[in-house]
Amino acid sequence: MTINWKAYENEGLWDELITSRGRARKGAGKLCKTLARLSDSELSARKTAAELAIRSMGITFTVYTGEGSGTIDREWPFDIIPRLILKREWDRISSGLVQRVTALNKFINDVYHEQKVFSDDVLPREYVERSREFRKECLGVEPPHKVWSHVCGSDLVRDNDGKMYVLEDNLRVPSGVSYMLENREVMKRVFPELFEEIVIHPVDDYPAQLAACLRSLTPVKSPQIAVLTPGIYNSAYFEHAYLANAMAAQLVEGSDLAVGNDDKVYMRTIDGLVQVDVIYRRIDDLFLDPEVFNPGSVLGVPGLMRAWRAGKVALANAPGCGVADDKVIYTYVPDLIRYYLNEEPILPNVPSYRCVEKDQRDYVLDNLDKLVVKPANESGGYGMLIGPKATRAERAKFARQIRANPRNYMAQPMLTLSTAPTIIDDHAEPRHLDLRPFILSGAKTYVTTGGLTRVAMRKGSIVVNSSQGGGSKDTWVVDLDA
Amino acid sequence: MNRTLSSTATRSYWLGRYLERAESTARLVMVNGRLLYDLPRRLPLGWQPLVDITGGPELFAELYAESSEKNVTRFLINDLRNPASLFSSLNWTRENVRTLRGIIPRQSIEYVNELYLLAREYLSEPLSRTRRVQGLSKIQELVQRIDGFMSANMLHDAHWTFLRLGNFIERADMTSRIIEAGCDNMFEAVSELEPFSDIQWRSVLLSLDATQSYNTVVQLPIHKEAVLEFLICNESLPRSLAYSLNSLRNGLRDLPRHEKILRLINRLRRAITQTEVGTLEGESLREFLDDFQLQLAQVNQAIANTYFEFKPRRRATRV
Repeated sequence: MTINWKAYENEGLWDELITSRGRARKGAGKLCKTLARLSDSELSARKTAAELAIRSMGITFTVYTGEGSGTIDREWPFDIIPRLILKREWDRISSGLVQRVTALNKFINDVYHEQKVFSDDVLPREYVERSREFRKECLGVEPPHKVWSHVCGSDLVRDNDGKMYVLEDNLRVPSGVSYMLENREVMKRVFPELFEEIVIHPVDDYPAQLAACLRSLTPVKSPQIAVLTPGIYNSAYFEHAYLANAMAAQLVEGSDLAVGNDDKVYMRTIDGLVQVDVIYRRIDDLFLDPEVFNPGSVLGVPGLMRAWRAGKVALANAPGCGVADDKVIYTYVPDLIRYYLNEEPILPNVPSYRCVEKDQRDYVLDNLDKLVVKPANESGGYGMLIGPKATRAERAKFARQIRANPRNYMAQPMLTLSTAPTIIDDHAEPRHLDLRPFILSGAKTYVTTGGLTRVAMRKGSIVVNSSQGGGSKDTWVVDLDA
Repeated sequence: MNRTLSSTATRSYWLGRYLERAESTARLVMVNGRLLYDLPRRLPLGWQPLVDITGGPELFAELYAESSEKNVTRFLINDLRNPASLFSSLNWTRENVRTLRGIIPRQSIEYVNELYLLAREYLSEPLSRTRRVQGLSKIQELVQRIDGFMSANMLHDAHWTFLRLGNFIERADMTSRIIEAGCDNMFEAVSELEPFSDIQWRSVLLSLDATQSYNTVVQLPIHKEAVLEFLICNESLPRSLAYSLNSLRNGLRDLPRHEKILRLINRLRRAITQTEVGTLEGESLREFLDDFQLQLAQVNQAIANTYFEFKPRRRATRV
């Protein structure tokens, strides 16, 4: 017997599948029993089957090597034990996410219009206007449905107390959804029997939902939709190509597009110039339009901002939406929910300290060895200080950085992320994980069923980013009542 | 409805050209080697014709002092300063393939990488004759595998059409250049000697892998008139000018806005059918072929103007 749940060492951890007494959590019984029944060779056969599926399906991600061509394609790291969430819990999380993203979109729209959030003293004006993601070029622009962040990926973590928190909201160009979809395809090949026995909610309508969301951004009846990618060297190129294909949209690079004197956006095709109505852009704001932002950008399209402001093309996500992605603004999200929706937040934030406020900064500087410090505008886990694991010198360096630029930092207590059993060599060990669901906002709002579960493959590590050695798992939302 | 982007159409076209060019360069060097070993040493036939065929005599003269076997093979195989060298072609093939992910089958990307690595392994200098022959025939095999794999697995859509257009423009150009080399003075000195009288036309057929087909179709001893008729006008020989033109015409018919380009192709086809090509000699043959190449260059330009519009990822060298 390869997996012995009694011998599973998860003391002191909140595990998603196994209780501290070695029993399966509610809903996970069949899964745990099936896994425990597998012999050594059967388990390794399933693992090999997953690897083969990933290779033959061509599921890769790109890592920067910093030498020669600069990038290599790696096969997507995947663990065959899924992570489970009960439908009842998921429904609550899902409405919490809708609430959150709705408030954030109202906030972004407010920032670029009336700015009541400042005059009503909910949040200091300078925090927003000094944000690296604030774009004065977006003031007064009216995107359809007043929605700015059409595709949001929020990172959820469960602490040791079993409670789910929102760790951050990725409102700009979040990635990972294609891996969520592919993980499910791989699992269906690896454990077909479990899909017959357990009611697992499907995830595969995401591309159709995304296409519907994008179509709702234009009055044109059958709009031309394009996915704008920085190109094959981008780490998420696989996803760009995947989504374009799944939506039957056109995958384009900046050089394929041109803006005419009529402010319309055209793509260069063998049929001549063809108008584009909606662009799902996977390029950061500052590279979108060399006429307005980074003049050296070769990834973007000159005149694209002009076209967008004139309402001749819809951009998803809208430029400037990153203003709500700022980690200092994040600390205000519960207030923003109360302010814009007059509701209590359904999902809690991780308790956070703003270094820009003196008393909170002093606390942070005194407790650097207990806290995680994050810069306001980085993603992918870069530029962080994990206090308890850092050296004295690293902490001193961060203290200097915080004093020099307090607006750029916030801090949170170090959470003990929940774990799930993960195959390490030939047995199961607990590994920490998080969850990234995706929320679509257009004429309607939609939340993925579950999301992308990312897992830190190194023992004790909480860094789940695939660029830094993280893996992933399929995420099952299981319905016990169905 | 999904459109074919000019950018990916351009890359498909140049992928077709560079793959074809890599294969024909490999074949040319191989055939020339074999041919030379059959000749008495005192004969002046050497490696220079290969430089002329591949269109780089000026560049070659700039880079090398003499057209020795070593220099010419280096120029044609390894030298990245020569945009028509085998390594240059493979580099561009790889670059175009990489930027066509999602359009060409994934496996063919791996095959192209394999091709490139193999070329580096077998054909890096110093290069012995044995190694060279081994390497070149492997290259030929791999290119043919890629060709066949794509033909069987790639969606036969507009991108495929552009890839084939690239193949056949390159092929027509190469065939006309090889025929032109057949009437070069270099060979004429040789041809007066028995038993080498038809050597130049034998070598031309060999360079195009067309000897067996010639024997099947023509059923006459190898001689100039028949070879010219066969290589220029035969509609069943895949490397003939007529066949390439027909393929270009058929491909273009699948594409939008093809009228102007088709007119150019038809003009070329008429030039072939209305000329008694077998009777062309020396200067008039050369003129005929030069004219053919010029008009082919116009076809290439018209394709670029109609479908590509903006700067593609490549450096034009010939045509």
